[in-house]
Amino acid sequence: MSYTLQYGQIWPYLPRLFDGAWIALQIAVLAFCGGLAIGTACAAVKSFGPRWLSRIVNLYVVFFTNTPQLVQIYFLYFALPDMGVLLSSYAAVLIGMTLNAGAYLTEIQRAGFESRRVSEMEAAEVLGFSRLQQIRYVILPHMARVLFPPLSNHFIIMTLGTSMAAVFGVEELTGQAFNINSQTFRSIEIFSVTALFYVALTLAASVLLAAIGRYAFRARTGLI
Amino acid sequence: MLKKLLAAGAVAIGLTGLAAPASVAARTLDEIIKSGAIRVGVNPTLPPLGKFDDKNEIVGFDVDFAAEIAKTLGVKLEVVQTGSPDRIPFVVSGKIDFVMGAMTRNPERAKVIDFTVPVHTEVLGVLTTKDKPFTDWKQFNEPSVTFVQVRGSTPVKFIEDNLKNAKVTLLDNYPDAVRALAQGRGTAMIDVIDFMGEHMAKHKVEWKVVETPIDIYYCGLGVSKASTGLKDWLNVAIFELHRRGKTDEIWKKWFGMDMIKPVGATPYF
Repeated sequence: MSYTLQYGQIWPYLPRLFDGAWIALQIAVLAFCGGLAIGTACAAVKSFGPRWLSRIVNLYVVFFTNTPQLVQIYFLYFALPDMGVLLSSYAAVLIGMTLNAGAYLTEIQRAGFESRRVSEMEAAEVLGFSRLQQIRYVILPHMARVLFPPLSNHFIIMTLGTSMAAVFGVEELTGQAFNINSQTFRSIEIFSVTALFYVALTLAASVLLAAIGRYAFRARTGLI
Repeated sequence: MLKKLLAAGAVAIGLTGLAAPASVAARTLDEIIKSGAIRVGVNPTLPPLGKFDDKNEIVGFDVDFAAEIAKTLGVKLEVVQTGSPDRIPFVVSGKIDFVMGAMTRNPERAKVIDFTVPVHTEVLGVLTTKDKPFTDWKQFNEPSVTFVQVRGSTPVKFIEDNLKNAKVTLLDNYPDAVRALAQGRGTAMIDVIDFMGEHMAKHKVEWKVVETPIDIYYCGLGVSKASTGLKDWLNVAIFELHRRGKTDEIWKKWFGMDMIKPVGATPYF
């Protein structure tokens, strides 16, 4: 190919990519935390709650895990205004991603609840652990170890998923890349650099999460 | 595992660097004639330049104009769907021979690809609603103003440079942007007035186009700098289509009106 790569032409735009990466990370972290709260609550309902409530949770999980996230956010952003609710770009994306994450994390958290063993609980009781101590020393460490790897994976999927926010007018990493591309036409250069930004984001997240897992929960993720 | 991850990162870095100098290359005029077909990139999200018809085929001004070009060259036309981020890689890699879709020429873009002489113009104006008091585009330079624009379109840069105080919300395509404006997500939209009619008609809103035009864009065909002979031939062909009135005819067929600012056939290029 006779095309000459000119990375120098896009250096002046790099700060915009950093801004975009920051917003992407922000959305991923906020939506993940929100989703984790929803997921934990819903998983508790599914494991311990009354049947009718568990049915409603099931409906929510089935709906959000079986429709595309993009369509869900489209609904929040473009259909809700016709019913009188006007969400901003950022809010629509954040709510959409949170609800979606909540559904997936419900299933992951449920696996955690199911993983506790009755014999362990009984042993703790025999040893005279209080209810709080049981949770602190038996249930939580066990759950954390089982759940940490799938939770980390989902966080990384969500970080990459923030790219769809560009469709709704949020100036995150992909959106910024599109903007710079349209002004410079240096498509190959700008999209390859943007790909590197995503690699850096997920690599940093992986290492950080693995470190947390290793030192906080003694979880062997195999990463470090 | 960390080593593996780092290796994956290294591979990703390598791939992005290596993806560029692939073996494919833009075709020369001779190669196109020899192959018997010319491949043209058309963006189907820009009606009436390009859109999908009932049979899910791409039609529009761009397709008809490209068909005339192919006929003049004596080859078959192959329409290739393109979007905003892939159109330039398609041209430089030779996946398409030239790209259409309101290719506004400017010096920055012309460093990367070549532009032919203009095929058509676009008159840039402001679309807003009747309840807003604005009468001139310069009045929109206020923090209370939010423009709703299409990501990747030329007016975005214009707003960045000339209406610095206004806010901008960028959406993915024209139907989305006009709908957002109709829903009250913004004050106004700056774009090519020629294209607005079709989208405006879909919403029950009292639209208003601010009288004074802002600018006039000249759109040509985008050609790879390595396509020896192609651009020069296209220039001659476009001149002929202009001179015979063919361009105006196709324009009227798709836009339902004459070009607001005609290019005119100029013998010098």
